[in-house]
Amino acid sequence: MRAAVLPLALVLAILASLMIGQLPVGPMALLHGALTGDGTGALVLKVIRGPRVMTAVGAGAALGLSGALFQTLFRNPLAAPDIMGFTSGSGLAIVVAVAAGLTLPVPLVAAAGGLVAAVLVALLAWRPGHSTPPLTLVLVGLGIGFATSALSSFALTSLPLNEAAEAQRWLTGSLNARAWDHAAQVWLALAMLAVLALSQLRPLEALELDSDLATGLGIRADRARWAIAAIAVLLAAAAVAVAGPVPFVALMAAPVGIRLARARDLKGRLMSGAMAGALILTLADLAAQAALPGVALPVGVATGLFGAPYLLWRLSREMKKGGL
Amino acid sequence: MTRLLPALLVLFLAVAASLVAGARALPLVEYARAFAAYDLANPAHITLMQIRIPRLLGGLVAGAALGIAGTVMQTITRNPLADPGILGINAGAAFTLLLGGLLLGQPDAATVTLLALPGAALASALVFMLGGGMRGDAGPVRLTLAGAALNAMLLSLVSAIVLLRQESLDVFRFWVAGSLAEAGARPILFMALLAAGGGLVALAAAPRIEALLLGEALSRGLGTRPGWVQAAALVAVTLTTSAAVGVAGPIAFLGLIVPPIARRFAGSSLRMQLLVSALLGAALLLMADALGRVVIPPSEVRAGIMTALIGAPVFIWLARRVRSGAFG
Amino acid sequence: MILSTRALSFGYGTRSVLRDLDVVIPERRVTAILGPNGCGKSTLLKAMARLIRPASGQVLLDGADIRNQDTRALARRLAILPQAPVAPEGILVGDLVRRGRIPWRGLLSPWRAEDARACAAALQAVGLTHLAHRPLDELSGGQRQRAWIALVLAQEPRLLLLDEPTTFLDLVHQVEVLSLLRRRNRESGLTVVSVLHDMNLAARFSDHLILLGPQGLVAAGAPDLVLTPESLHAAFGLRAVVQPDPVAGTPMVIPA
Repeated sequence: MRAAVLPLALVLAILASLMIGQLPVGPMALLHGALTGDGTGALVLKVIRGPRVMTAVGAGAALGLSGALFQTLFRNPLAAPDIMGFTSGSGLAIVVAVAAGLTLPVPLVAAAGGLVAAVLVALLAWRPGHSTPPLTLVLVGLGIGFATSALSSFALTSLPLNEAAEAQRWLTGSLNARAWDHAAQVWLALAMLAVLALSQLRPLEALELDSDLATGLGIRADRARWAIAAIAVLLAAAAVAVAGPVPFVALMAAPVGIRLARARDLKGRLMSGAMAGALILTLADLAAQAALPGVALPVGVATGLFGAPYLLWRLSREMKKGGL
Repeated sequence: MTRLLPALLVLFLAVAASLVAGARALPLVEYARAFAAYDLANPAHITLMQIRIPRLLGGLVAGAALGIAGTVMQTITRNPLADPGILGINAGAAFTLLLGGLLLGQPDAATVTLLALPGAALASALVFMLGGGMRGDAGPVRLTLAGAALNAMLLSLVSAIVLLRQESLDVFRFWVAGSLAEAGARPILFMALLAAGGGLVALAAAPRIEALLLGEALSRGLGTRPGWVQAAALVAVTLTTSAAVGVAGPIAFLGLIVPPIARRFAGSSLRMQLLVSALLGAALLLMADALGRVVIPPSEVRAGIMTALIGAPVFIWLARRVRSGAFG
Repeated sequence: MILSTRALSFGYGTRSVLRDLDVVIPERRVTAILGPNGCGKSTLLKAMARLIRPASGQVLLDGADIRNQDTRALARRLAILPQAPVAPEGILVGDLVRRGRIPWRGLLSPWRAEDARACAAALQAVGLTHLAHRPLDELSGGQRQRAWIALVLAQEPRLLLLDEPTTFLDLVHQVEVLSLLRRRNRESGLTVVSVLHDMNLAARFSDHLILLGPQGLVAAGAPDLVLTPESLHAAFGLRAVVQPDPVAGTPMVIPA
């Protein structure tokens, strides 16, 4: 029973997102449009909201899976690509590339930005001869996040106003004006990276227990750790490339999903993380669209408003458990 | 007094740099002439009196205020990573200030700036409460992340406001980066009074704050009331941060960098640390501002961006030193 | 399968912990490594499990350097249980034990009957079959340690290394864990090597002792040959009387 909760909620969220909007359609019109390919239902599905919703689901799943991988790898609920500055690295790279007039594909730029941020965090947190505690990584990641946001606001102040408005949307995280190629792009990246993540399932199962034990089980611990971190960074970058650095989705997804699905084994936990990410981003986008009549807020505003209290609650819980 | 000398020297150099640096090179004689016989027809005089002097005064007020705010926060939370920008107090001030501006239309500058006070007060109370910071027992990670969460939430609200009125983005994107460039248009005298008030509260409470650091039981034995001392610290942080935001917008990291340097110069007395922090804070902000004017001429990097670019590496350096033992 | 070290040395900053150490782990026996804190017991064990790289010297398995061997193939013969591992929150005992099959499973290979058999046998051996569906967090300290041992038993190694397997347990559970390892050794010929602190329990449950001191190897051999007043003084600087244990007859160390 519990296993059905997340897929069911996700389907309902997708249907609601398709029906609610400036041009509302009922379930029958939607069904009619899907079957016959004409009428308002078809228009909504094919053009107005279909691509946007599919992009939201794909990007949310990528963020959720990325967060679940990081949280499992570092065994810390605060380890997430958004907290550790990787998504803002991707976002900054996109804004800089656009401002500089580069015509590189956006996903490549996002991936490069995320990887650079991740390598910087790893290098700066590294102390020769010491193992790095995950919380040091989190703090150093926050520092990298501060630096990227300073550079972002520099970019914002040097751009002409119309480009600055576009960049501001990008940096907040937005799903406005998404087309089918955005959806296709994020789903393709998600599929490839999910397969790669699946290939690292055994190493991750071992690393999750204990690094030495993993070596004893025949895993090359360091290599596996880098591979998993790279997959997770690329997943986050794939989402940023279509939706911008939407905050807190990756942080919240896995804990929410695991709790809803009561998943225990690793594969189940990763899958519920991905599904919860999709659910959260879809619902947040719906809320951001519907919150103020006539104004389409970017989805990042909504996840920021939900996510920050979650982070504060999580902090107080970790504190009570003695984790911080 | 000898402890103040190095800081005064640094401040003097910073003041000189602030007056000299700029897109337009002014002959030195014009500085003296501008004061002796101000000539409205002379563009050098106008640059000096209407652009550089207000900038200098704004930098003195905002920098000193942020230095004091940082020292009070780091002392009372016993956290080397505390800073009004990092912990979301700047964002709180910015939020109510912008909201007020949106709701009230275009009131006079002093009124708008007063609106920063409740935001700063609420944000500092909230972050201390949530971070457990008032008992001084929250680990740096917890307090910093609580601040990051508060920052993110307030920024979401702020961007919602900004997006409601597209035209306000043009003002907002410059304002949010923090700068002294518009100091001339802000009520500097009023903000100076606000900052001075905060500074006086901090100086008056300093011995009690020191007693509080010995532990609650011992400080009660010394006759202090922890609740009152904490409230005084909160008032000091609120007044100084609001003043700085009012003059220069949200400038982050100054309150992070200044206190550890001030401790080097000032020794262990908190009062001396506060005075040195005020001087060094002003000096650092003026230098960041001057540097921002010359780094990529003819355009200007705003002071808040400069302090963040200097401050982020300092933050990372401090974060690396926070060992696992200090997380408890 | 014989595990041995040849001229093994470790630099630990400027101070070298172990220098030119030659030890041989007897096959199908229970061996305990003893010594004062900081003498390099755990370092030796970790080196034998290829967890750390020695400054010089080699660890040999049947005469071949373990560093040149495929790590996964090695994991099918040699298992290590580190000191006090912490499991992820909420993991089930059965799921924990299943992860011991990692070296036996290919990338895409399904869960096979022999994997299930190995896990069932491991759970049976540690007496936790009835708790396989319970979360590990709900178990007592002794049960939890047995679950970790079941994981390394499910790995079906010929040689099992354990770093201080009894450290956080009370006496009853210490005896339980050590007799469990002893039983596995007797029943299936598993070679067991553990780092221990309690010399009397080590003597009671081991066939072979390796005693290290600040200057390196002090003595190795059967418990009654190793635990002598002279060697104890050399290793610990401790004056002690050694008497036969009234229950088992193995040597018992009594500080003088």
